[in-house]
Amino acid sequence: MSFFRKLHSFLVPFSLLSWLGLLACTLLYAHPSLAPSIGTPPGWLLLVLQAVFTACIFIQERGTEERLRGLDFVGLIRRLVLGPGLLATVCVGLHLVQQLVQTKLPETGSVLFTCIYTINVGLFVVLLARTNYAWRSLVLFRSSARLRRLWLWFEVLLGITLLFRLFTWTPPFGLSTALLGALAAFGAYISGQQKWVAYLNRRQKIEVILLQLAIILAMAVFVAYFLQTKSDPQLIAPATQHAFLLLNAFFAGFYAVIGLLVTFFNLPTAGVFEQKREEILSLQRLTQLIQRGQNTEEVYRMFFDSAIQTVEADAAWLDVEEAGESHPGQYYTLQPEQAKTMRNLLIDYNLNHIEYLNNDLFNSSGFRALNLPFGSLIVMPLRSSKRQYGNLYMLKEIPQGFDRESLSILQTFASQAVLSIENLQLIQASLHTQRVQDELKIASAVQDSLIPKNLPIDNWFEISSHALAATEVGGDFYDFLHLPGRRLAVLIGDVSGKGVTAAFHVAQMKGIFHALMQENPLARNEREKFPVPSKFMAQANTALARCLEKAAFITASLYIIDYEHGGFVFARAGHCHTLYYHSIKEEVSYFRTAGLGLGIIRHDGYEKHIKNQFYDYNPGDVMVIYTDGIVEARNGAQDEYGEERLQQMLERTYYLDAEQIKEQILADLNEFSKGQPIHDDQTLLVIKFKASQPEGSL
Amino acid sequence: MKITQQSTESTLTLSLDGELDASSSVLLDTELSKPEILNNQKVLIDCRQLNYISSAGLGVFISHLQTFQDAGVKLVFFNMQDKVHNVFEILGLDSLMTIVPSEVEAVAV
Repeated sequence: MSFFRKLHSFLVPFSLLSWLGLLACTLLYAHPSLAPSIGTPPGWLLLVLQAVFTACIFIQERGTEERLRGLDFVGLIRRLVLGPGLLATVCVGLHLVQQLVQTKLPETGSVLFTCIYTINVGLFVVLLARTNYAWRSLVLFRSSARLRRLWLWFEVLLGITLLFRLFTWTPPFGLSTALLGALAAFGAYISGQQKWVAYLNRRQKIEVILLQLAIILAMAVFVAYFLQTKSDPQLIAPATQHAFLLLNAFFAGFYAVIGLLVTFFNLPTAGVFEQKREEILSLQRLTQLIQRGQNTEEVYRMFFDSAIQTVEADAAWLDVEEAGESHPGQYYTLQPEQAKTMRNLLIDYNLNHIEYLNNDLFNSSGFRALNLPFGSLIVMPLRSSKRQYGNLYMLKEIPQGFDRESLSILQTFASQAVLSIENLQLIQASLHTQRVQDELKIASAVQDSLIPKNLPIDNWFEISSHALAATEVGGDFYDFLHLPGRRLAVLIGDVSGKGVTAAFHVAQMKGIFHALMQENPLARNEREKFPVPSKFMAQANTALARCLEKAAFITASLYIIDYEHGGFVFARAGHCHTLYYHSIKEEVSYFRTAGLGLGIIRHDGYEKHIKNQFYDYNPGDVMVIYTDGIVEARNGAQDEYGEERLQQMLERTYYLDAEQIKEQILADLNEFSKGQPIHDDQTLLVIKFKASQPEGSL
Repeated sequence: MKITQQSTESTLTLSLDGELDASSSVLLDTELSKPEILNNQKVLIDCRQLNYISSAGLGVFISHLQTFQDAGVKLVFFNMQDKVHNVFEILGLDSLMTIVPSEVEAVAV
């Protein structure tokens, strides 16, 4: 490999030297008197020098880097024309100068003629090498391996012809012609490889035709020149490498002619290719729009413009059906009124939501009556599996204006547009979801801060609590408040509904609780300083009446435990019954009292529906309060946990600590509803009254 | 949730089948929100097939209660399963709403 590279760097000086040698030999041949001591050089030397020169130029051309850059076929041929084109001009110019000088100074004729002839031979060889290797780039453009092999053979065979004249052996006349003929046929076959033409658009094709004409012209100039000088009596130089140059010229010219013809006959189809390309580009633009995530408006406009451009419609309009949003229809060289009459007609035909192609509107009585200048119509619905987005209407003035191709490309466009629109909607939806989730997180954090973190601690009772929300934010709540005189207010409740609204009502309810449980300075006696539970509920109901939405309500129970006197009073506003263990009677039962939920009736009549219940407790009594999420928890068979099972649990665990009782109940509950999603918030409070006496300091 | 309607001259009977939860309560709300429903003297709710009622379902009845009372339309529940009746009772709705054991009594109310 390195040998060839080294060789390559010597090629230019070699070719120059051999050409100079050739010039010298030719001159000596023509005028042996120029250097009498040397005499006439032998004929074979001339041929060898010619052969070396030609070989050098060809190998050098072969070794230059690939001329074809990407798909720049026109540039390749243009460079070829500018090179050889100029060479042809030089050649003709030299010839004219020679003719001119000859008439003025006839005695210099022969020497000058020989010089110019030798220069022209050199130029011709360069031109042939250039052209052939330019053609090679075109022939081998996206070619198969087989074709590459064939080209190599072609090169080798051409090279062999270069050796023809070096040997004294002259092949029989018939054989030589046959060989040359076979090679010419080979060249003709290779000339058929004109794949590249398909990649040109109309403008490029015209340019290529002109450029190829220029090349053929340049060849013709050379050939004409050589034909003329061949018979010129002044030419004393020996014949050139005839067969090689002839074959090369034949191939170069023939390829140019075939290319020209192919390009020429491809001109009418250029429009089709360009249209296909335009379709692909339009599709690409549509696809890019999806990725850029712009608005639907833009997708529709892009779709509309691309569709018009691609099917070359004379008029068009696009109807977009947006839920809740009004989209002005898009019109292209069409009045909205005209579109309306056509739309109404199509609705009459019941053709509004299907693909519809009518290429003969003039023969349809309905359309004829509209008196519009259109002969063909396509209706393309924009729809996904979920919904209909609208319809695209394309019109052409001529009948038979659309074909199946137009329909299928419009289908592709429509589905692409629908895809973009649905993508955009998905993006918007996900953004919305993200925002909602963020809000829920905040609501959840706020609600978390509403749950009492520190449970009341006293020697008179134990409290244990559990709260679990079904969603980020739940509707359950509980709270404690110490009242003066060794009293404790315990509130538990449940807001109907879930989510942020429920959390909001929980906050309201807690606000109401803390506001109403304030000491009344006007109270006449100790008992009236704080509202009794039924009064509290009535006041809370009034407060909630104004802010709770119509279908919402709140259930709550309020217990005011007076542990100095060993009793409590409570009211139940629609909340779950209180489960109670009586240590004296040694039995577990529910306090089944009446009481209406808050916010169900919103007038003064509420107070009638709520009752206070007083109870004196004994040490060892256990009170279990909870929300409906506990008793309505379900198992795999959709059975509810139920009050009865809860009661049985307390019957089994009443002697334990409050914390242990809670744990046991929850363990049983989880065992019961294993594998089932919790569908409501669960809150459980266990209060165990104790026998121990208050310490002296209290 | 499936809601079937049966209408006579002055009575509309809605039969609820399934679970009345947050999603299905929207259906019921749509039915009860129709203005023509107030032309009836009585709206009977057949709860034989009603297996479960959530707070959202209760909210639907509560939200229409006042409208019905103001328009003089009686809302009567019948054939209620114990489980569902218990929910009405705990919330205290049994003192506000007419709940009767059977259709015969519902018609007679």
